[in-house]
Amino acid sequence: MATKSNTDKITTDLLRPIRLNKSFIIWMGFLGVSLVICLGAYGWQLKNGMVVTGLGDYVSWGMYISNFVFFVATSLIGMLISAVLGLSGQKWAAPLARIAEIIALAFAAVAGLVIISDMGRPERLLNVIIHARIQSPIVWDITVVSVYVLISALFLYIPLIPDLKICAEKLENLPPFARKIYKALSLNWNDTPEQKKIIKQTTRTIAIFIIPVALAIHTVTSWLFANTSRAGWDSTIYGPYFVTGAFVSGTAAVIIAMYFFRKNYKLHDYITDSHFDMIGKLLVLVSLVYLYFNLNEYMVPFYKMKESEAILLHDLFSGNHALLFWSVQMLGLVLPIILLLFKKMRKPQPMLLIGIMVLLGAWFKRLIIVVPTQEHPYLPIQNVPLNFKIYSPTLVETLISIAPFILVLMIITLLAKVIPIIPVHETIEHLEENK
Amino acid sequence: MLRTNTKLRATIALIITTFCFLQVTAGNNWNVPADKKTKNSTFKFDANTVKDGESVYTKNCVSCHGNPTKGNSLKSLNPVPPDLSSAKTQELTDGELFYILNTGRVIMPSFNNVLSEEDRWKVIAYIRSFNKNYVQQVSTNDATKSQLVKADIDFNKNTNRLTITVKATEKTGSVLLKNDEIALFANRYFGRLQIGESQRTSADGVAVFDFPKDLPGDKDGNVKLVVKINDDTYGEILRLKTMQIGIPTDKPALNEKRAIWNVLAKAPYWIIILYTSGVLAFGCVLMYLLYSLNRLRKAGNN
Repeated sequence: MATKSNTDKITTDLLRPIRLNKSFIIWMGFLGVSLVICLGAYGWQLKNGMVVTGLGDYVSWGMYISNFVFFVATSLIGMLISAVLGLSGQKWAAPLARIAEIIALAFAAVAGLVIISDMGRPERLLNVIIHARIQSPIVWDITVVSVYVLISALFLYIPLIPDLKICAEKLENLPPFARKIYKALSLNWNDTPEQKKIIKQTTRTIAIFIIPVALAIHTVTSWLFANTSRAGWDSTIYGPYFVTGAFVSGTAAVIIAMYFFRKNYKLHDYITDSHFDMIGKLLVLVSLVYLYFNLNEYMVPFYKMKESEAILLHDLFSGNHALLFWSVQMLGLVLPIILLLFKKMRKPQPMLLIGIMVLLGAWFKRLIIVVPTQEHPYLPIQNVPLNFKIYSPTLVETLISIAPFILVLMIITLLAKVIPIIPVHETIEHLEENK
Repeated sequence: MLRTNTKLRATIALIITTFCFLQVTAGNNWNVPADKKTKNSTFKFDANTVKDGESVYTKNCVSCHGNPTKGNSLKSLNPVPPDLSSAKTQELTDGELFYILNTGRVIMPSFNNVLSEEDRWKVIAYIRSFNKNYVQQVSTNDATKSQLVKADIDFNKNTNRLTITVKATEKTGSVLLKNDEIALFANRYFGRLQIGESQRTSADGVAVFDFPKDLPGDKDGNVKLVVKINDDTYGEILRLKTMQIGIPTDKPALNEKRAIWNVLAKAPYWIIILYTSGVLAFGCVLMYLLYSLNRLRKAGNN
């Protein structure tokens, strides 16, 4: 029976990576050691205070909050690939949905931790909740990020239920406790028509609900900036500007993840060149939209040149931050768009390089949004040392900013080790439908 | 060619020298009247007055003059405010310092109506603390004498004028305070609002101030008036009087109504509605999902 052997092949292929092996242990060990070093830096900051960073009265957010914005941004990709593409009937994206969801969950869960790194007295974190004022965008942000983490976890979990059953049944050499966990989490999945219907309904509900929540988390994050009247942040398009930027960095993150999963887990039959081709086109689309918002964001104040904005824009276009600004815009946005217009460039290897370029650009873009505005307050800066005026992050700060990336990689690696990253049940179903 | 160059240089050098000289003379010449030069504090400078003076200095002076001995005054100003521990400043008499502090000049503001006389002397005490060779001369004037002075304030509704009569009650009888500097203020949220300009009392010890017709008072129209008199014998005299002569004003305080900037209990309704409906919507979806998962588990049993 051809179908039977096909189904078996899919199951074995997709379940193969779920086992302990040497490379996993080495990789996790490497991540663990790096994390310990970075946590050491954080311990140093806790002991000595924020003075060990380059932050001060003027630039008080710097790398930490740029990092936070980047993490929230990247987490939006789950909504784009699983919900928007899923609901609009883009079947090609279905195998990538779980990768996108894992990335979304990991980045969103760590984003909350990133913000704590900017607190000199993190033990006062609870005060934000105890003395919360719902007039404050920070409270909205905490609310929507928590909601998004929960919804993302459910969005990952519910379509996974049939696969958990397959894991419990088909995985060999599984310790009994792990099999029990798989079984418990699979909630009596028996592949009955009623269960299939429930899964379909709930997945659809989440897919619809996650769209406003995801829009909300990044819009609210943008309001942390736009609800002030600081030059550069005082903008009415900050919400959509952040959301479209988020799609760019998220898509780049998915491309990088696709490349490594395909290579290391030998998933060439499931993540094909055509997937890279399609997601390459998607990256062009979202980048073009983001480019459009960039044009709006900088062109309108540039035309008017209000005094405070003019100081900032001169600094960005031809001053201290010009090199970074233009590198980010050209290498992180314009060049990738041009390159990806060629089919040859939408192959896995060039796509990996482009993905890394875009992701780096996206990270530095957040720095360009946060730092220059803080360096140019409305009241003139007088009688302060140079390092107050010009922000330069310290090594400790950099290590602390790397820590969340390590955490995200650990979460992604762990999740990809315990669940099949390509939906097994769905792939088989799809195969049967197309028979 | 060479000649013209030398000439030109000489001219430029001359202009620059003259300019510098003018700057220096302008910087030094405060034209302190002779009688003010010898004025002295009525209290002795000690560790406490220096300490109080430092806190007044930090609030009012440090932003331009910098910290004494540190040489960190604001160099971008013209003229550059001197470091007050410098020999040039310390050469001045207490009276001269007091006069400079009172009048101000060009970009230096007058502190006459900003700081009390006591605070002004305390600042001088602080400045003097950087001079080891300083020996204080305390004024022979009796500081308690100011308590003998009375200011009668009379308001004429028809002309909207305030007539202030100043006299001191000595054992020998009443003494009218003539030709004294007198200023009138109304207290406001921060600091005082000067009413009209400073005047000199007449030979009868009287000063008349036009009171504005549109000055807001409290909800009953009360205005807290402050009369300030400077007399050589009696020193600085402050007298307070609350009078019902303002426009009754009853504006709610900014934190009384629901507003973005208010406490949680006074959050605007629209925010409460938006926020709670968002959280409720999430709660409903979450309940629905959990309910569905439970249904899913049960369906597997059949």
